Amino acid sequence: MAAVVTSHAELQLVVDTPAVDSGGVAVDRIQCSSCLISTILTKLHAGYFRVSLSLGGQALLWKTLRGPTDDTHTLRQTLHLFHPTAFTVLWCFSFFALVLLSVLYLLRCLLHFKMVKEEFFHHVGVNYLFAPSISWLLLLQSAPFFTPENHYSYVVLWWVFSVLPIVVLDVKIYGQWFTKGKKFLSAVANPTSQLSVIGNLVGAQAAANMGWKESAIGFFSLGMVHYLVLFVTLYQRLSGTDRLPSMLRPVFFLFFAAPSMASLAWQSIAGSFDTTSKLLFFLSLFLFMSLVCRPTLFKRSMRRFSVAWWAYSFPLSMLALASMEYAEEVKGDIPHLIMLLLLAFSVLVSICLVVFTLLNSKIQLLSVCFDPISSFVSRAKCFTAHQNEQPSQTV
Amino acid sequence: MDNRENHVSIELQESASAEPVPDLLKLITSNEVVVFDTIMPESETSVPSNGHQRKFSISISMPSSPTGAASAGTKNVLDVEDNGKGFNDSSSVEAPSKPKPKGDKFLSQPMPKGSVFGEAAPNIKKLKDKRFNSFKTWSGRLERQLSNLRGRQESESESEEESTQNLGREAFPVDRYFNALEGPELETLRASEEIVLPDDKTWPFLLRYPISSFGICLGVSSQAVMWKTLATATSTKFLHISLTVNLILWWISIALVAAVSSVYLTKVVLYLEAVRREYYHPIRVNFFFAPWIVLLFLALGVPPSVATTLPVALWYVLMTPFLFLELKIYGQWMLGDQRRLSKVANPTNHLSVVGNFVGALLGASMGLKEGPIFFFAVGLAHYTVLFVTLNQRLPTNETLPKDLHPVFFLFVAAPSVASMAWANIQGSFDYGSRITYFIALFLYFSLAVRVNFFRGFKFSLAWWAYTFPMTSAAIASMRYSSAVTSVLTQTLSVILSVVATLTVTALLVTTIVHAFVLRDLFPNDIAIAISDRKPKPQNR
Repeated sequence: MAAVVTSHAELQLVVDTPAVDSGGVAVDRIQCSSCLISTILTKLHAGYFRVSLSLGGQALLWKTLRGPTDDTHTLRQTLHLFHPTAFTVLWCFSFFALVLLSVLYLLRCLLHFKMVKEEFFHHVGVNYLFAPSISWLLLLQSAPFFTPENHYSYVVLWWVFSVLPIVVLDVKIYGQWFTKGKKFLSAVANPTSQLSVIGNLVGAQAAANMGWKESAIGFFSLGMVHYLVLFVTLYQRLSGTDRLPSMLRPVFFLFFAAPSMASLAWQSIAGSFDTTSKLLFFLSLFLFMSLVCRPTLFKRSMRRFSVAWWAYSFPLSMLALASMEYAEEVKGDIPHLIMLLLLAFSVLVSICLVVFTLLNSKIQLLSVCFDPISSFVSRAKCFTAHQNEQPSQTV
Repeated sequence: MDNRENHVSIELQESASAEPVPDLLKLITSNEVVVFDTIMPESETSVPSNGHQRKFSISISMPSSPTGAASAGTKNVLDVEDNGKGFNDSSSVEAPSKPKPKGDKFLSQPMPKGSVFGEAAPNIKKLKDKRFNSFKTWSGRLERQLSNLRGRQESESESEEESTQNLGREAFPVDRYFNALEGPELETLRASEEIVLPDDKTWPFLLRYPISSFGICLGVSSQAVMWKTLATATSTKFLHISLTVNLILWWISIALVAAVSSVYLTKVVLYLEAVRREYYHPIRVNFFFAPWIVLLFLALGVPPSVATTLPVALWYVLMTPFLFLELKIYGQWMLGDQRRLSKVANPTNHLSVVGNFVGALLGASMGLKEGPIFFFAVGLAHYTVLFVTLNQRLPTNETLPKDLHPVFFLFVAAPSVASMAWANIQGSFDYGSRITYFIALFLYFSLAVRVNFFRGFKFSLAWWAYTFPMTSAAIASMRYSSAVTSVLTQTLSVILSVVATLTVTALLVTTIVHAFVLRDLFPNDIAIAISDRKPKPQNR
């Protein structure tokens, strides 16, 4: 894959190239909208599911916030007054976004299967294949009209979204880590690999909510064992450079998404926010502080808007959710203060991201390649399209 | 061209004098090699400024080097002057001491100060002082201010101050330390390297005072805690140890901590540059955690006659700076580029991690719940990473000593303190504590049976730091035997305590011998004086 061996400098070149001659492309657009669909299909990649991940995370956050709670602190009671309709709107919005993305991605699988295969072989792209499953699971859990215990359909959906895709991907990817020649963990490890761990943990949480303790523990242990290995590997940073272009720096936030998710999953399994969950929550909080203290790390990626920015939102939502559970368990002012801060931060970030995306959507429709993974994965085509001003691509 | 001149000059000089080539010249040739672009942002150094290496390299290649050789008696005054580091003042002082053609020397030099020639004979004492100026805070200006305040007049002109440049404000790359130093504590200079300070003179005391001196405080304060536990633990009550021992040791520790901290604070104030270089040293940086650990041990070992309960605010006061320090260091491991863990991991990193557990132990014994769990979580996660990394002994890791060295005892520290911390958090010595305790015990024994291999190492003050794991293991054993009381466990705890005490006593004797008899307790601290350029290999 040419994209993989491309030097970062070249990548930057491609990414930073501005959307060229929107005028010319606009003419084309007027002429054939099917070309546009085709463009979208070629440009879309699993990384776009970050959007649905974030929205799903926010939906789950607000559902838990509104839900029944033992927390008698005034802060929580105030937030309880959040209007139910607003939450339903949020959930529907997330649902439609996810449906749209899923449909488009399905079309891409059907029409441009080769590109999907390329993604699968890429060390960053492959982890985002977990993202659709995770998003569906999050939406399932946050659905306003579903209660896990009663509905048989909940079980069916859980199996469809959780067991099949996640387990299959697990077996493939985790097996590769220690068996396959070029795909050893030490060679491919990067912060997005934590998405596979998060997938297992979300599956565990959903299972535990259904009452399926054993499956929950199974998924949890699978996720945690690989998280341990991955955590050590990522910390050691053996390969020297990160193998991650600086535009993808926002995915560093996944460092604290995994322990937060683990803490929530363990809470669902154990029934209460016990010491293990607290340990995981504190670890996640520490990693969050570490990252927030280093804003220069993200400076480069913040220069241009890209879909990678959506990677900021989901971890923050999960951390806020974990802090909410923590504050409920350990009643006190400081935990509630932390909860409020994290909540505010995550909501603020999500709103900003939505605004930025809407502002940029015009450019998004017209530009050829403006997000890092797409150019990372199909750099040649991108560049060619750029040159030829051809919106339509055929595989 | 410069190279050739340098070669010439060196040959000339070698023939000219029997004295060893001054470090300066070696350094000068190294100036040709621009290795680390991180070091020198070509600051807008004015011509007089000494901070700019290239200027000096040119000037130094003057055939005046024979004079340099001739004046090698003033040793390394030359190197001081021309060192790209910006030892500026020395140039003014060396000139007068040189016998004759100092004029030649400075002809092509972008004169840092016109005062060079006009210098009357400055006394040698001032000459010496100036050499270390670059290591001083603001390169000696602070000291001058202080002495001016005291009323002493300095004869040096103001022009010296202008040319004073702080040594690289930019971070010293860690590769430099690995390339220049070797040995299990990265203390010994490699044969091919030179240092920027004179090697044959005894440096000012403060410059020789390493941060690893806090190791003494660690060793003694952990002894205080051990004797307190010996006196109060239920399983060792049969020994009838009185609390007086704990009281005495505690007061000694307080005195030691006060002494060491004040000396080191003086060093921070007066020799900030040297402190910075210690901070960038991959092994010494871990000792920056030591003061906080010592204070935590002091709080843990406070005799009941002094205070039975400590204010909770004390814990927050102690742990906040610790939190900031570890945010910085752990972040470097994970996110930094040159100081990532796979490169710098070494057993001394345990000092960075064990502090978390000590803090958790103290907090839990004070009755706090959440704070101790926080630090326990952080410590546990990072200890796992460190443990795996060190056990892997990666080929990319250069700092692990090939042979056994007392530093390996630090492996025992974290699990033993963690087991006690977890016991305090949970309220009883439960399974988690026992698991970690047994891990600590196993590591201890696997090192103890190899004690024959711990030979032939040069004593250093850092060895005191390696005694505190033994003491912690003894304390953990006492806690364990209080939970699982049997003859075996009690014997074990007594044996471990005895071993710890004997080791500390032996170390004390060795320290006293080195301090008063051999008088080399504080040797020249080579590790902080390495140059920032790799010297060019000479055909010597």
